[in-house]
Amino acid sequence: MSTDREHEITRAFVSIANSMADGTDVVDLLSGLTSDCARLLDIASAGLLLADGHGVLHVLAASSERTRDLEIFQLQRDEGPCLDCFHTGQQVSVDDLSQETDRWPQFVAAATAAGFAAVHALPMRLRGTTLGALNLFGDTAGALEADDLDLAQALAHVASIALVTDKATSDQGTINKQLQAALTSRVAIEQAKGVLAQLGRLDMDQAFAVLRRYARDHNARLSDVAHQLVSRTLAAEQLLDRSMTRPSPEIRSKA
Amino acid sequence: MDSIAELRAGLGGAMDNGDPTMSMADRLCHACVALLDVDGAAISLMLEGSSQGTFGSSDGLSRDLDEFQFTFGEGPCMDALRQGGPVFAEDLADAAETRWPAYVGSALGLGIGALFALPISLANSYVGALDLYRRAPGPLLGNSLLGGLMAADLAALPLLDMISAEAELATSGKDEPAWTQLASLARVEVYQATGMVMAQLGVGPADALARLRAHAFAEGLTASKVAWSIVGRELSLEPDNGRTDPGGRHS
Repeated sequence: MSTDREHEITRAFVSIANSMADGTDVVDLLSGLTSDCARLLDIASAGLLLADGHGVLHVLAASSERTRDLEIFQLQRDEGPCLDCFHTGQQVSVDDLSQETDRWPQFVAAATAAGFAAVHALPMRLRGTTLGALNLFGDTAGALEADDLDLAQALAHVASIALVTDKATSDQGTINKQLQAALTSRVAIEQAKGVLAQLGRLDMDQAFAVLRRYARDHNARLSDVAHQLVSRTLAAEQLLDRSMTRPSPEIRSKA
Repeated sequence: MDSIAELRAGLGGAMDNGDPTMSMADRLCHACVALLDVDGAAISLMLEGSSQGTFGSSDGLSRDLDEFQFTFGEGPCMDALRQGGPVFAEDLADAAETRWPAYVGSALGLGIGALFALPISLANSYVGALDLYRRAPGPLLGNSLLGGLMAADLAALPLLDMISAEAELATSGKDEPAWTQLASLARVEVYQATGMVMAQLGVGPADALARLRAHAFAEGLTASKVAWSIVGRELSLEPDNGRTDPGGRHS
């Protein structure tokens, strides 16, 4: 069990490191990070907020829909531990949300309604700048093991480096541009999923799989394929035809 | 930090409950002049297949300046759209400013020393620009720049109403504050539904988002609710003389 977990942890780091080397999409990278956290740590799900060029936060990834909703709720109400973490650049760890109704009255009510009892928000920092926050949500009250917190913080840290390591970056302007590009990519990817879902009668997860497989098969970036699809320089049929005539990625990858 | 919150509240508040005799776009332009280090503001719309031109302004001079760009076919607003980023001309009288010879001549003639064009994006495509004018030359700095960027975000709302085939219904959506409306349009299900509407209607992202929003207004629903119905395939928007079928098609 613990060997499995160590193996998984190693795999998570390697996958982030690889993404730096091969220029994997930021959205892909961060979605992976939230699902890695949800799987590896003693938490129910994870979400990730990233700031754009004006310092406005956006939900970039979430391992579950209820987490995504709760992250958006915090942004809309301008209240909650994930925002405090981003603004202070410090970890905000709450083992029992029911004790914090004075601190975040609206957030605690919403989190409780969504079935969450504990939250741990970790800053994504790079060279003194807070880029965003990685947020872990637990179904039951109780402290997260120090090891788990360290592991999550390390993953967040490596992901921060991967985020801006694409090109040599020394100034805040370039970092902002890359984060903006990441946010823009996410919109295009969601729109592309919608186009594929409609034309191929797929659900959103299947549509994402089709998009990702096409990008991998063509050695293209996910966001580039999404942009082409949305701007209609690439026909959706090209992706959908392939997906119907080819075996599933699980079978292929084992072959 | 406080002044940023004040800027946000001031710009958003102008959209939510300003002078009801003015359009939302005009009110936003007036708020820019009141809150930022500029003397005039105008919003232009440049969408393929839709009307192009000045859409809101703080005064007649700003409107004229904006329209010169369409007359001459050159100007910072057009460049901002093409480049997908802000275009600044801090000193129009500088001999090194050679980007828009005809336009700059007219602007100088009207006593303008500096201008700043910030692109407005809708559903990831650039559809217009917020043009800020100042009599005195010099850069747009600090909170004025930040406020300009915020105003360019907000300007997406009146542009959406404008693009929408059912713009007249937009008045029914005013109970939600502008920043909340923007936030709800930035939800993931709205992006996904926008993609589905693009495929259903064969239109671009900005048009698809406008149609989705128009449908929400018509039905008294939030954009998010409509998006869920589309993603859940309970609702499909259909081309119908360029208008959204009020009931939609339920399958």
